Amino acid sequence: MKLEFKINNTSKAFELLPNETLLNVLRNNDFTEVKCGCNEGECGSCTVLLDGKPVNSCQVLAMSVQEKEITTVKGIGTLYTPHLLQKTFVEAGADQCGFCSPGMVLASYSLLKENPKPTREEILTALDGNLCRCTGYVKIVDAVEMTAQKLQTNNLEME
Amino acid sequence: MLHQNLEWFFPHKVEEAVKLIEQQGVILHGGGTRILKTSPKSIRGLVDVGKLNLNYIHHADKQISIGAASTYDDVIRYSAKTKKLSLLAQALSEAASTPLRNRITIGGSLKDFPIWSSLYAPLLALNAQIEIADKHDKVISLEEYLETGVIKTKHLIKRIIVEDEPHLIGGVKRFALIRFEYPLFTVAVALRVKKKIISEARIYITGVKGRHKHCKRAEHFLLEKELTDDIIQQATKHFTPKFVSDYKYSAEYKEQTAKVFFTDLLQELKGKL
Repeated sequence: MKLEFKINNTSKAFELLPNETLLNVLRNNDFTEVKCGCNEGECGSCTVLLDGKPVNSCQVLAMSVQEKEITTVKGIGTLYTPHLLQKTFVEAGADQCGFCSPGMVLASYSLLKENPKPTREEILTALDGNLCRCTGYVKIVDAVEMTAQKLQTNNLEME
Repeated sequence: MLHQNLEWFFPHKVEEAVKLIEQQGVILHGGGTRILKTSPKSIRGLVDVGKLNLNYIHHADKQISIGAASTYDDVIRYSAKTKKLSLLAQALSEAASTPLRNRITIGGSLKDFPIWSSLYAPLLALNAQIEIADKHDKVISLEEYLETGVIKTKHLIKRIIVEDEPHLIGGVKRFALIRFEYPLFTVAVALRVKKKIISEARIYITGVKGRHKHCKRAEHFLLEKELTDDIIQQATKHFTPKFVSDYKYSAEYKEQTAKVFFTDLLQELKGKL
């Protein structure tokens, strides 16, 4: 069947089976920035935002999110026009192998959008569903703190 | 793996949803996390609850109603904003992970009652009631829902009702080696205390033999007593949950660990008095 989805502020129609996860549907339609890690809802590589909240797309049946706004990491910034948060991840060295980065960035984005001055503890809680197999957690948390600092210093809002 | 010819339904009314789930192989879909974990091929239809307006948390007439489609995260946010339901929010904020808490619904968790549930013990300690719809609508206590086997029947959970008890003090402890792990057990204690004397105690543990236990002996012991170190030690002797051994832990190990957690929990509550 063919269904419409709202992804990164654009409407897209995809062919899908009724038992397919959102992760499968996205990857089969060239949204390969959404990574497939454990496929069990434990690693967070497949994180997307559903109406602004991070979810594991491997644990979401695509049919159930037709009317929701889906945001992938390319929806907040691209290779040529990266978001401040994405730039800061690079600056902080929080991008080792890069496999967890899309999920980490989206979980951090959702946090900062709601809470622009998070404590380190709040950052750890917000990222508790995202695993980094390079174990680069310190730099990832640093990147979120640095972004929050930049927002404050430059009197910016998360967009 | 779910069947690829799965049929989806998106009813706008609870009655329609109830009728749909009467069919063989048709079940409710809330957040979908549990369905994907078990993925039974026998499921041939999913009834999505998204359009039933069951995603709400209301406070009225000293009662808090939690719509069954509310997620764990909804409850945590409500609690942070209103300072209500803190016992429940404490347990839920330690369960699963942020992206899963954004999907797992209260109703789905209650209906499935996995052995690692972090939801039941605090709700039982809060004397929660549950409104269900099957052929007739009814409100029953959560304990009755479990004890009389209603949980095993085909029904739709509409809401969970919890009395707003601002003077109740309580806490939850779950045993997991790492935060993300499924807990081995969850123990919840709620106490009503007047002038340092306990006038009511509610103690529940899940993850035990038979899934849950209402620890009446320990509750009874605590009545009319002041929470001192000595009383806590004695209460722990009356706290005797039974477990089943598994490939990781013996029943005895779990029992002893549960006692340690129970003692710690009472010590924490003593500090709050």
